[in-house]
Amino acid sequence: MTSLTIAKNISGPRWCRPLGMFLLAILISGCASDLQTKVSGNLNSLSKDQTVAILPIETSHAGQKEMADMFRQGLYANLKQSHFNLMEKYIVDSLLKQNNLINPANFLTINPMQFGEILGADAIVFSRINKVARSYFIIHSSIELSVSVQMVDTRTGEILWRAEQTEHDFSGIGKIPTGIFTALFAPIQFVTNKFNLRKMTSKMLDKLTALIKKPENAETNTKFENLVIAKKATTDLKKIAELQQLKAEWTQALALDEETKSAVLQGETPQETRKETLALKNDLLPPTPLAGGGIQNKVRSMVHKVLAVETEMAPLATVPEPKEQKVATPTPLNALKATLATPIHIENHGKPPREIVKPEKNIKNVPIGSAAFYTVQVGAYKTKAYAQNLLSKLVKKGYNAFVTRNNKKIYRVQVDKFKNKEDALKLAQLIQKKEKLKNFITRATAG
Amino acid sequence: MGHSRIFPFLTPCIAYFGILLAGCGTVDLEIRRGHTNSNMLPRSVAILPFTLEEPDPEEVSPHELFRTCFYNYFSYLGYVDLPLKTVDQKLSQAGLTDSNKILQLSPEKLRKILGVDAVIRGRVLSASNFTGGIHAETSIKAKIDMLDLRTGDILWETEHKEMTYSGILSPTIVDIVQGQLANVNVHQAYFKTAEIFLVNMMKEIPDPANSWKGEIRLPEITYIETNLKPNLKLKPNDRIYVSLKGDPGLTGYFDIGSWKSNIPLKEIVPGLYTGSYTIKTSDKVTNSLIIGTLKSKNGLTGKKFYKNGMAQFDSSSTN
Repeated sequence: MTSLTIAKNISGPRWCRPLGMFLLAILISGCASDLQTKVSGNLNSLSKDQTVAILPIETSHAGQKEMADMFRQGLYANLKQSHFNLMEKYIVDSLLKQNNLINPANFLTINPMQFGEILGADAIVFSRINKVARSYFIIHSSIELSVSVQMVDTRTGEILWRAEQTEHDFSGIGKIPTGIFTALFAPIQFVTNKFNLRKMTSKMLDKLTALIKKPENAETNTKFENLVIAKKATTDLKKIAELQQLKAEWTQALALDEETKSAVLQGETPQETRKETLALKNDLLPPTPLAGGGIQNKVRSMVHKVLAVETEMAPLATVPEPKEQKVATPTPLNALKATLATPIHIENHGKPPREIVKPEKNIKNVPIGSAAFYTVQVGAYKTKAYAQNLLSKLVKKGYNAFVTRNNKKIYRVQVDKFKNKEDALKLAQLIQKKEKLKNFITRATAG
Repeated sequence: MGHSRIFPFLTPCIAYFGILLAGCGTVDLEIRRGHTNSNMLPRSVAILPFTLEEPDPEEVSPHELFRTCFYNYFSYLGYVDLPLKTVDQKLSQAGLTDSNKILQLSPEKLRKILGVDAVIRGRVLSASNFTGGIHAETSIKAKIDMLDLRTGDILWETEHKEMTYSGILSPTIVDIVQGQLANVNVHQAYFKTAEIFLVNMMKEIPDPANSWKGEIRLPEITYIETNLKPNLKLKPNDRIYVSLKGDPGLTGYFDIGSWKSNIPLKEIVPGLYTGSYTIKTSDKVTNSLIIGTLKSKNGLTGKKFYKNGMAQFDSSSTN
């Protein structure tokens, strides 16, 4: 029933009607409340088997701590009447403290899934006291409270409930004091007595939690139209998806790389290898002039990407790193080591002659003959310094090592030159055994 | 002459402030000597059915309402409180349904029936709700105590009357009208009055939360593994296998996002739990992570997400 119809129903002398309307207008405006609340349809699926944790309340001002405590207690008592199981406050606080999560202002920057693992909760409630304002001016005083609340499913990052509420009440002439004393003292009492703040908080919580206590009563305008995922969860879910995609591609690329390497070791010509590789995996890799190198680069770039994404997703520094990540992260060591033995000269035929790195002072200069030869390649680097470093180590150990550079500007560390492949293979095995360096045999021509 | 001018103002001032102060009274909770050490406080507590000294005033049962409200607020403190339903079930199973008789039971018997360290006993001495003329009033007077079943001692007790009032002494006309309207809903009026009573009271009850904080440890899950792979699309009759390793002797289950919850895991060897879920034709799951859960007897749960693959249903398989 609207205020107008109520006013019309008031019977009595003519002057009663305006008075009635006046009173009703005051009643409505006197204790103004602005509530915006929405729930997700999935809220109904929470049962007593699911646990919800109410996190400590964030405040916008240091002086709001008492209000925050009062609000959290009231929110807890109200949500105790809902369909789900509430996690006890001291357990929540204790677990957060154990994980050094003591500042509620940071909670929204943490992925809800992480809270799921820290608290063992299926959903968490973030709340913020936006405003607690008390004002007094002789015969008028007012209190304004503003809060925002959000419940997020830790398993999916979905926002199950979101509400914002502002409650405003005053004391003064507008409420028609019953006497001169009350006109003077009621405004003072209104802002100084904590009881009024408590009463307002209680009233606010009643309205705020009405929908979540009975989500089945939600109407179209109080339901989310679409699935709403918390911002932090969206970011991290995207990262997880990206990570999974990268890992899938990485696995494929690694498998392809293994095939390429074994083909080279079996003595197939680089051209044959490339053809076969492309024929087999044409759908996986774009035809590149450097199939082997392309795969390697792809693997390497994926390793970097995977590591980068995993680093971004790493738990907070304050939280002990979950052991799972160690298990879950595919060990990139093999892939990285494999770069030492990358066949990167496959597409050399008909191309400009490879560039020979100018010997450094401490590097033994290896003359390159004009005829084709077999050599053992132990490393390939984009950075010259790394190639030189490996070269100097090998030279010091007495290997006849040298560095060459191809037209892709890759510095390759190779050892010795052989006329026949068997001799090269023996040296390759020796290097593998003694130096633990992965390598392969490659055929090269000087000049 | 001067006095006669001041007194007419002074008297109503004093009366007004007296009324104001009466509205925000604190609950006087008496904590018995020797029971202030939080380490000695009971851990588990059951709230016994409250009694009403007077006959039910109206269709509402203020004592039951007061008990529910008490439980909602008391749970916030660091006690392990038995849900009211569980308490009632246990008492009922022991053949105890009369609230007054329950209060007369010995601590030993109560401990045997309920298996808790302490009980809360509540007696609602009077409860009233009245709306008439410009006067509206709801009051609850109750006596509550906590009985330590381990020793038979009363740890604390209180007797308090809480009243919400609006009438001639209200400061404004609007307050009077609002008070009248609020008081008409009897159930709501009792609940509000009980809330004010309890918010004041909870501040006085010793809270053992700090004593337990060091002991809180969730069940540990070392790893979780599934047969889900990146980009794998699930078809009907595909089976998701989940295994997790963690603390032994617990209840294990897993969730597929929030879409499918509490799928049981079986402990095949101590600390190793396995389970599976077969995709049905009607299932339509998209991008859901698998979450493994271990639950201890005290209700604490440990969770771990499997992040190397998501459950995704192949929508083309149903077409």
